[in-house]
Amino acid sequence: MDKEIKKGKEHPLSIVINEAVKIFSDLGFEVATGPELEDEWHNFDALNFPKDHPARDMQDTFFIKDKPGFVLRTHTSNTQIHFMEKFTKEGKIPPLAIVVPGKCFRNESTDSGHEMQFHQIECLMVGENISVAHLKGVLFEFFKRFYENENIEIRLRPSFFPFVEPGFEVDLKKGDKWFELLGAGMVHPKVLENCGIDSKKYQGFAFGVGLDRLMMIKYKIPDIRLVYQGDLRLNQF
Amino acid sequence: MKISYNWLKNYVKDLPEAEKLAEVFTFHVCEIEEVDKLPNGDFVFDIKVLPDRAHDLLSHYGVARDIAGILGLSFNEVKYEVPKGEPTKLEIKIETDKCRRYMGRIVRNVTVGPSPEWMKTYLETLGQRSINNLVDATNIVMFDLGNPIHIFDLDKLSGGIIVRNAKDGEVMTTLDNKGVKLTPSDMVISDDKDVLAIAGVKGGKKAEVDNNTKNIVIEVANFDPTSVRKTAKAINIYTDAVKRFENDFSPEVASSAMDEMTALILEICKDAVIQEVVDQYPIKAEKKTLAFNISKISKILGLPISGDEVENILRNFKREYKKSGENFEMKVPDTRPDLCSDEDMAEEIGRVIGYDKIKAEIPTINNSAKSDENFSKIIFTRNKLLADGYSEVMTYAFCDKGEVEVLASASDKKFLRNNLTDGLKESLKLNQLNAPLLEMNEIKIFEIGTVFMKDKEEMHVAYNEKKNIIEKTLEQFCNQFPEKNFGAFALGDIGQGTHDSLNSFPGISSGSKIFVPWSVYPFISRDVAVWMGEGENPEELKKILKKEATHLLIREPYLFDSFTKNGKTSYGFRLVFQSFEKTLTDDEINIIMAKIGHKIKENSRWELR
Repeated sequence: MDKEIKKGKEHPLSIVINEAVKIFSDLGFEVATGPELEDEWHNFDALNFPKDHPARDMQDTFFIKDKPGFVLRTHTSNTQIHFMEKFTKEGKIPPLAIVVPGKCFRNESTDSGHEMQFHQIECLMVGENISVAHLKGVLFEFFKRFYENENIEIRLRPSFFPFVEPGFEVDLKKGDKWFELLGAGMVHPKVLENCGIDSKKYQGFAFGVGLDRLMMIKYKIPDIRLVYQGDLRLNQF
Repeated sequence: MKISYNWLKNYVKDLPEAEKLAEVFTFHVCEIEEVDKLPNGDFVFDIKVLPDRAHDLLSHYGVARDIAGILGLSFNEVKYEVPKGEPTKLEIKIETDKCRRYMGRIVRNVTVGPSPEWMKTYLETLGQRSINNLVDATNIVMFDLGNPIHIFDLDKLSGGIIVRNAKDGEVMTTLDNKGVKLTPSDMVISDDKDVLAIAGVKGGKKAEVDNNTKNIVIEVANFDPTSVRKTAKAINIYTDAVKRFENDFSPEVASSAMDEMTALILEICKDAVIQEVVDQYPIKAEKKTLAFNISKISKILGLPISGDEVENILRNFKREYKKSGENFEMKVPDTRPDLCSDEDMAEEIGRVIGYDKIKAEIPTINNSAKSDENFSKIIFTRNKLLADGYSEVMTYAFCDKGEVEVLASASDKKFLRNNLTDGLKESLKLNQLNAPLLEMNEIKIFEIGTVFMKDKEEMHVAYNEKKNIIEKTLEQFCNQFPEKNFGAFALGDIGQGTHDSLNSFPGISSGSKIFVPWSVYPFISRDVAVWMGEGENPEELKKILKKEATHLLIREPYLFDSFTKNGKTSYGFRLVFQSFEKTLTDDEINIIMAKIGHKIKENSRWELR
């Protein structure tokens, strides 16, 4: 019999993470990662979340017992802060561009579309002239490549997140269906200042996409709860 | 917030049709959760108002003002002519610094009864129940201008009105006769004896308006947002009033709300006699001006914007401004405190012009492919294990024992895992049971993930060697390969696993693979082995197997074994049967296997082993 070892099969989420990272990497983003158990400064305060913002309720966020001021990160945006803090500490100046894949957590009841743990990929680009036009350009290019040159469209709608201004919801049209896919915006000047970047001189965009969702749309996987069962029947791709 | 189309039309005569209006909301204002057409011909838009716009969009006036501005339509400002009223003896004392404004007015000789039809219709449209003409009037004004209003039965008061902090343990009885226990951090409205209402949250029983009420006090007030939110949370009562006050509603609106409320009462109670307003306004709203620059706005949006365009928009919104070159100075409306920087104005101008007008542009940034070591190591480790024949699984970070516990979890798994081994063991068990389905002789799996210790988190990797699980830190695993430089990061390293097509980047293609769901019913697996003579093709056998095994065969027959002896070759195929509808029985499969055996025997050169 064939003695050659047959390659194992990758988890579909890893395939999706790799594809996404590869595309963003090709567009000039550097890969960064950050901690999953995070302090409130990096997960909330530095991102301009007011002290009494509803997202900071125990009903939405996992706080840690006997460790006040710490949470399981609710988004990969914490890594924006880590990266920029280190960046300015080392005396560097923008432009900067990072892509952050990683696991996040929300304290919510699970159903076919929600899990307590999920994966996100986040992009941050800061420079002197980085604009909404660039945000649109990067997102369009990403989805075009990710969904393999299928006819896609994107559109921006006004929205609000504390760490961006202006803020947007971004929809993706794939086939004849619109998907409400991600939140995005221009980095709030306070966030830049919190990391020691001169917001008068520099500006940039940030967005975060749920990778589980991208995977589910890509492969038509109907239920997010299949993803973390350790079941190899999911590794079909 | 539910918005009535007809209500908006009172303000904006040339409002576009409902369908078009829905688009205006979606692309220029905010998300719509639902649009309903009602039997009475009205449309209700349930709009999702986010915190930055809660100062103006939680009212029909504010929404109409915004729509008129966006579309450049004329806006019909409604003015209420209210007489000054008779002299009053109403006493209002504010004993807390959390009450920003309190307007009170006594109205005598009111008649409580059913509301006029138009009021009932509007309230029904918004999904509200009509209670009586006075209570309904307070709701109409709140949904119109945003300011919550309360009315007390004047004859039930003992003395004047006091706004103060509650005493520790003080109790207010609600309209539905429940006692709410208060603490000094809760702000209340009281008379000389009792609590009448929890400020900005809910009214109480004592001074409730009933069918016999003759004389009332109208309260139009404004309270500190944080205080209202804290109280609402502490006593777990969320009302429309809370939603408005907790979002820092402008105290400036109170005057017009008092006018409208008074005018409504005079309209529905013809014999009512009004007194003068008592207006305590200790914490005045700041009047702000905002300086912004249009080249900065253009730079943020990535869209050149002219001074004329901006002026046109500001005029449509009836904003007061001064312009000098590229610089504008604008008076900030009381209900738009969210406007306080160039970025805010970029949004304000951008959303009116439409974000679709911004052309997508790829930024040029001189970054070579780079990665932090952690991610490089994850990629390396994954590729290494995949190449060694291991398949990747992901399991939950939550479990029922560990060193780090989360608070208030919705699940019974309250701990974070401190190892991958436990999860991988379970996964191994599951996958071993499914081995025939997976076409694997041996299950080899791995997981890469974070584990949590008392004082640190760590990236681990775990894999099995037969039944044993081997777990290492990512560091330890990678240290086995000292020749590998994790500082260097090559795009080609990503996705070297099973997903070969990734390397044909760009234009990544994974084919049009679509997830195939699995059945929840158990499967049955059977093996068939046949001796074949030289030159015989096992594919022929496979064809027969596929045909005879019926639709219950869920996989291609899988050649799990073959060997040659005395010029004959034995081919062993594994057949896996499973139904999406039921649990299969051995008897059912035995019948199929008997048929297969029969077919094989028909070929004299084959011999069933």
